Amino acid sequence: MAITAPTATVTTRTEVEDFLFQEAEMLDTWRLEEWLELFTLDCTYEIPATDRPDLDPGLSWSLIHDGRTMLEQRVIRLKKPEAHAEFPHSQTSRIVGNVRILAQSGDEVLVTANFNINRSKAGKFDTYVGRYEYTLVPTNGTFQIRQKKAILAHDKLDPQGKISFII
Amino acid sequence: MTASTYVNDDRQNHLFQVNREVFTSQEILEKEKQEIFSKAWIYVGHESEIPNKGDFQTRDVAGRPVIFNRDRHGEVRVMLNSCLHRGASLCRHSSGNAKIFTCFYHGWAYRNSGELVNVPGNEDYKAEPAKVYEGLKGPAKVESYRGLYFVNFDEDAESLEDYLGEAKYFIDLVADQSPEGIAILEGTHKYSIKANWKLLVENSVDGYHAKSVHHTYFEMMMDLGATPPMLGEEIVNGVAPSGMGTEFPNGHATLMYPANGLPLATESVKETLAGMRRTAEERFGESYATAMFGLSRNSVFFPSFIVIDLSFGLTLRTMYPISPSETIVTGWQIIPKGVDEEFIKYRVDNALTFWGPAGLATPDDVEALEQAQKAFSTQAEIGWSDISKGMGKQMPAANDELQMRAWWREWNKRMTGEALPSEGKSFVPFQKQTTDA
Repeated sequence: MAITAPTATVTTRTEVEDFLFQEAEMLDTWRLEEWLELFTLDCTYEIPATDRPDLDPGLSWSLIHDGRTMLEQRVIRLKKPEAHAEFPHSQTSRIVGNVRILAQSGDEVLVTANFNINRSKAGKFDTYVGRYEYTLVPTNGTFQIRQKKAILAHDKLDPQGKISFII
Repeated sequence: MTASTYVNDDRQNHLFQVNREVFTSQEILEKEKQEIFSKAWIYVGHESEIPNKGDFQTRDVAGRPVIFNRDRHGEVRVMLNSCLHRGASLCRHSSGNAKIFTCFYHGWAYRNSGELVNVPGNEDYKAEPAKVYEGLKGPAKVESYRGLYFVNFDEDAESLEDYLGEAKYFIDLVADQSPEGIAILEGTHKYSIKANWKLLVENSVDGYHAKSVHHTYFEMMMDLGATPPMLGEEIVNGVAPSGMGTEFPNGHATLMYPANGLPLATESVKETLAGMRRTAEERFGESYATAMFGLSRNSVFFPSFIVIDLSFGLTLRTMYPISPSETIVTGWQIIPKGVDEEFIKYRVDNALTFWGPAGLATPDDVEALEQAQKAFSTQAEIGWSDISKGMGKQMPAANDELQMRAWWREWNKRMTGEALPSEGKSFVPFQKQTTDA
């Protein structure tokens, strides 16, 4: 018996926004294990190089190109006190906006949104800005993330110096 | 200032110390710009980044903006990216292809081979600028080794090959990985850190911090069923599992250790690697092929060109000071030519896991360096840093600090004129049977 039948319903922007705002809250509150469960098993989480945002992060010297296994490892690591760059955890506050559905086809919804993340840690205050591209899979009245790509609107990581938390 | 003001090299007591003032003083930074960045060979880029006539990359090298390009004759050039007229940048793209560089300020235009070919209002000059200035200026010397281009701003500098000396074998081990050569993968890591540039140089060839700082990375490798570096059992080409440090003239130094396991490698990736190794064995003999693929190494070429040559990735990085407490870092990834996409993807994934500002390791290094830089405000009370580990040992291991001491002695020589003798630990871990490269 099929658990999820293909839905004929159309995804609305409000549904997507609710989902992305919940995701943002999980990240700001460091509920990373819960966040990880949002992803499909065939997921990717990626950040292209700042100088070549157009290239496939798997085939260029990108910043992040995690499949499910590495994403799990990233989360496991970040929760340890020996993840020095994030000990104690930085405080982040993120605004996700300009959410738009670009396409819906088969079991996927393609979404774009902008982000503006402020991070403070040990007296240093940094801002990360850019655009998300999501491939979402509608599942049981909510979504799973098949792909999350964060394209930074920075030409270099100066002054941020690192991306030690989840964008 | 006397020599011992900066470096205390006490052979009798096996003590090596560096004055923390060298990480905070503006005066010392100015002297470094003169004595090191204007006189040593400085890495610019690799030929694969500008394969066609007209291709260019712009970058900052030793604090100077340059155009690194292939001109209309196919010749590789490095030219200062500043108009001879009033100084504005000629080219503001990070890369591209151009026959002519035209200054946007007043319109002076230069061929990609440097000649000044157009000056708007040329008739108003009694002395024609093209005759007075001829063409764009470059560094005193531009030379390459195995496709890697370096510049030197000192007319009297020795040749690049002499400067690299024996340490150039560690560049050969990179360049020889494919008969077709190597290429820089597109995409660049460019980031700043709030720490002195020399702290990241030290860190790049520091095997001692691996277990403490990268504890979580080692655990991740073990989770994925691979043996972390320096924890194996095999001796490879005379290099023990704990690895070894080695030093060369002119401040170049390397630490090496048996290659790490390959987490998550597919059969196809293992096959590609085995094929590369077979080819290397045929071309250079088994000893050299084993050094190439059975050992990992981190090398520093003085002052700040780093080659991280691991079984799962090949990373280059440079670092230049912006201020005593601020450094700009650039990182590239090298791929042997002729490999398939699956292999490239594997190398990217594995190298990214550790390296770069979003890797699972580099941010922790940066954290350590930034914390150190901050605490150098205690200089009046704690004046010196210690780099003595393994001093006096017959065979310093990878987690000793010989590599750093070798680098500091060169730094000290260039800054003070005082030449401190090396510890005499130079070692090349192979016999090369042919030299058809």
